[in-house]
Amino acid sequence: MQGFDIANPPFDRLTHQESEELRAGLDVGYFAPGEVIIPRGRSSDWLHVVIKGSVKVRDDSTVPTVLGPNDSFDSRALVHGAAGEDFVAVEETLCHLIPRRIVVDLIRRNAAFAAFFYADVSRKLDAFAGQRKAEGMDSVLRTRVRDVRYRPAVYVDGGISIEQAGRCMRDNDVNALFVRDGGRIGVVTGMNLSKAAVLLRRPLEAPVRDACHFDVVSVGLDDFVFEALLMMTKHDKRRLAIRSNGDYVGFLEDIDILGLFAGNSQLIPGRIERARSIDDLAGAAQAIGAQVERLHRQGVKVDVIAEMTSDLNRRLFRRVFEMSAPTTVREAGCLLLMGSEGRGEQTVRTDQDNAILLDRDVPVSDLGRFRDAFSSALDGFGFPPCPGNVMVRNPVWSQSLDGFIRQLKAWVLRGDPEAMMNIAIFVDAVAVTGSADVLIRAKAALFELMRGETALLARFASLIGTFETPNLGVLSTIMASVGAGPDGIDLKKAGTFPIVHGVRTLAIDRGILETPTAARIEALVRAGTLEPAFGRELTGALHVFMEFRLRSQLLALHTEELGSEAVLRLDGITTVERDILRDALRVVRQFRELIGSRYKLGAF
Amino acid sequence: MRRWLRNLFYRATLADHAYRFLFEPGPPDEVVVLDCETTGLNPRFDEVIAVAAIVIRGNRIMTSEAYRALIRTDRVLPPESIKVHRLRARDVAEGRPMHQVLPELLRFIGGRPIVGYYVDFDVRMLDRYVLRYIEAKLPNRRIEVSEIYYALKYGGAPPGTVLDLRFRSILADLGIPSLALHDPFNDALMTAMMYVQLREMRERGARIGRERAVQQEAPIGA
Repeated sequence: MQGFDIANPPFDRLTHQESEELRAGLDVGYFAPGEVIIPRGRSSDWLHVVIKGSVKVRDDSTVPTVLGPNDSFDSRALVHGAAGEDFVAVEETLCHLIPRRIVVDLIRRNAAFAAFFYADVSRKLDAFAGQRKAEGMDSVLRTRVRDVRYRPAVYVDGGISIEQAGRCMRDNDVNALFVRDGGRIGVVTGMNLSKAAVLLRRPLEAPVRDACHFDVVSVGLDDFVFEALLMMTKHDKRRLAIRSNGDYVGFLEDIDILGLFAGNSQLIPGRIERARSIDDLAGAAQAIGAQVERLHRQGVKVDVIAEMTSDLNRRLFRRVFEMSAPTTVREAGCLLLMGSEGRGEQTVRTDQDNAILLDRDVPVSDLGRFRDAFSSALDGFGFPPCPGNVMVRNPVWSQSLDGFIRQLKAWVLRGDPEAMMNIAIFVDAVAVTGSADVLIRAKAALFELMRGETALLARFASLIGTFETPNLGVLSTIMASVGAGPDGIDLKKAGTFPIVHGVRTLAIDRGILETPTAARIEALVRAGTLEPAFGRELTGALHVFMEFRLRSQLLALHTEELGSEAVLRLDGITTVERDILRDALRVVRQFRELIGSRYKLGAF
Repeated sequence: MRRWLRNLFYRATLADHAYRFLFEPGPPDEVVVLDCETTGLNPRFDEVIAVAAIVIRGNRIMTSEAYRALIRTDRVLPPESIKVHRLRARDVAEGRPMHQVLPELLRFIGGRPIVGYYVDFDVRMLDRYVLRYIEAKLPNRRIEVSEIYYALKYGGAPPGTVLDLRFRSILADLGIPSLALHDPFNDALMTAMMYVQLREMRERGARIGRERAVQQEAPIGA
């Protein structure tokens, strides 16, 4: 039938034939205001797609979600046999009714469509994240040669010897040279030189012009990468000369193009290690930031991006430490990265949480010098300072182990939210330099302080309620529908923080040393604290929020609207994404309840 | 009363008794929405060229079982009608003659009440053929959506209130998305959507606010 929007996900995954079958089987249902369309726990014979009106997804515990036109419900009631919530018409509502047998048939035939109906949040997200890969490929092919990191042109005279040419390549760190010979310009590669010397047994003194070739295949500086790729394929070349204004300006190699696809993450560690000054490192720091976006565009999963970024950041911090710390501090100190950086969950840099623990006394002047040098180096890289001043610059976060353990005790005794937050940040610490033993001793001391302290753990856990409940509420949706204001959800408050903090609390409770949330969840599952299935859901939900957060952070970088980066605008996401978000929020809700009842948070 | 007498008369004089079912009551809780596209607005000599009918069962609009047909006519289509329904002579040529379509359509409608927007017009258009083939007029009860809309919106309105019963205005007032107009199936579907909502609002005793302005195409400030 007409009037059914086939471009609306997940129906956009259907083939023409499949969508015609779907259309032919549709009915339309009308629901009066207040009518319960699907009661919780019941199955449904239809998948409903809202045509007009709105449907409230009611759950006793929180503010309800509201579905509007083009939203579908409820895949759980249809495929898994029981709705997770009540679905109630808020106003006069019309829905397309897709019979179960048609949906089931399409699920069987079309894997991309089926993904929408997965019960598991993480599998659903995977299926939909896969979509972006094609786009990534496309954006790479539409890059211009100018924007690729190509090799600069080095010219030599045709008269120089093969040996000289070889040395010239090594000195300039290139694999090919342009050779001027009379009026013409040729190219000689390292491979040409080796062949001349080894296979043709040319003397090393022979002029290089004998080893080079003059049929240069070139690509324009402003050509697209895909044109270069075509050229390489056509001429069977792994290297093209780049021309600009009648001159050769460099070489483009196939490996350079490969670098665009994979990001050049494999090159960054080398740049960090080779850096001789803080300024050298600044370039590497920028490259880390730039590759996050590239990896994301290419459809790399957010947990992988976070892991790669953390690894690179840790190398970077280690190098900065080595360069900025006086010998005394370097020998005595253990540099800590904390918070999201410590958990390995930071992608786009938000703030720096770092500290240094010293296992013996160092001269006050050395420590002071280090604090300034380290902090200003990070400022120079564009790392935003931590709003809570959790940085080595702050004496609280750069002191001796003994002093710090006393500080931990003081926080434990104080027990106010700020103290608890400091403890939370510290629990996520990893050591990037010096002896990790110092950190382990500090954490052991903290776990000792908190073990069995039910009231204390409860107070710690109660931070989970710091932020208001997830809000996909009626009012905001209505506001958005009349265009009165943006409808957004704060991903950090509604999603990431409750998961991270709840898991952190359980980790302290069970004395788990891992810092990444996913690793903690695994450990908690092994310890029997969490059900394996729920553990998977929780990790999946965390990645959902990280993925959405990364997206809005990248968007904020482009629009320079920092500060709003954690807010996801609901009008900017597709129906399927909203569905995934809804599933993820449901997991958070369940988890809050679990934490709430375990630590009896009703009292707070 | 007049209608009852008339139906009694037609029932007695029905030429083809195979069509007696038209006079039996249809399944309870079912109505059928009807829409015709015609060559013009004069039932005396204009012809039906396309028809669609959709059953409403309870609150479900049975679009999956809709009836739709194109009808071939010998008359040359006047250009002004082509502009309305976009059915060209070529499209209509793919249709079937009315004497094939009508029996199917009548069986589809059965004894159910007929719902429509200006339903009298559609029924009058059909009656011409019905009369010719079975020597009776359609006996079905008719339900006019604009009448229900009128009652819910303008019932008891002070004299001088400007009435607006246009199809688009009703759609907008009820928040029903507008499908491409003048396709008989779409028109019937939109009419069906209006009907289920209006009927339920009437049962509930809800009213449509007269101050509720007809929605604009785009929200203000968008």
